[in-house]
Amino acid sequence: MSYSILIVDDSMPMRTVLKRSLAAAGYGGSRILEASNGKEALTVLKGEWVDLIMTDYNMPEMNGLSFLKTVKTEALFKEIPVIVISTEGNDLKIKEFMDTGAAGYITKPFTPEALRDLIVSIIGEADYEENIDDSDNEFDF
Amino acid sequence: MKKILMTAITNSISEVMETMFFMPVETGPETILNESGIDLNTALACRLNFTGDICGNIDLISPAPLVAELASNFLGESKDELTWEQQFGTLSEMLNMVCGNALKNVKCTSPFKIGIPGMITGTDLNGCAKCTLVETMDSKMAILLSTSMSQ
Repeated sequence: MSYSILIVDDSMPMRTVLKRSLAAAGYGGSRILEASNGKEALTVLKGEWVDLIMTDYNMPEMNGLSFLKTVKTEALFKEIPVIVISTEGNDLKIKEFMDTGAAGYITKPFTPEALRDLIVSIIGEADYEENIDDSDNEFDF
Repeated sequence: MKKILMTAITNSISEVMETMFFMPVETGPETILNESGIDLNTALACRLNFTGDICGNIDLISPAPLVAELASNFLGESKDELTWEQQFGTLSEMLNMVCGNALKNVKCTSPFKIGIPGMITGTDLNGCAKCTLVETMDSKMAILLSTSMSQ
């Protein structure tokens, strides 16, 4: 099945890397939507069907935690799984996200394999999987 | 505490550089920034503030050609096609990852809060400050850590 995935990150290069990581993980056929902060992401959610949200924590305007709290209190969005991708890896922060309703948390730096394993555990395998181990270069996108 | 933090940062930069930028690095000697061999007039630099048990900022200073190489590796695009936004964004994201990854490994009474990285210029840098060099195969960048005790 094809997924619709929303990437929320204020760093344009990081959004690019996440898109490439998704493609390497077999989700290259997914429809990728982008937003640069939580506020923008809420606007996207009001107009688009989304199967999975991947959000950064530290963003201007509306950070990842405020965004997650809003998503989980809105009837229309609360069933959408949210993966938090952040540099902040202390246990208290991770617990706060998980208690707020995050489906998963991954800290940067991450490998495409780690990201793939997390996504598969949440939304399942992509049908159009590309083998990420078919090259000597483990990050050959 | 500053020494512990600097050790965490140098460990972190190795992990980040290898995992996300596919570029092994070695921590070089501590030196005065003005004597580091990096031309501060043409280098790209960014700064990230943090607060916690100690507060401060971390500056990452890199020659432009090295930033282009890092951005090319990170984004999978040709160096010639990279925009300024992509290059600066890559340097900022690198500093963000290095800082976040380092601070999570420093024992403290309350978690550190990390700011949003921003670009700085040569005039914002204290050239007389001591920095730590991070050496790649054919280039180097500098990390400058400034701290103060939390109020």
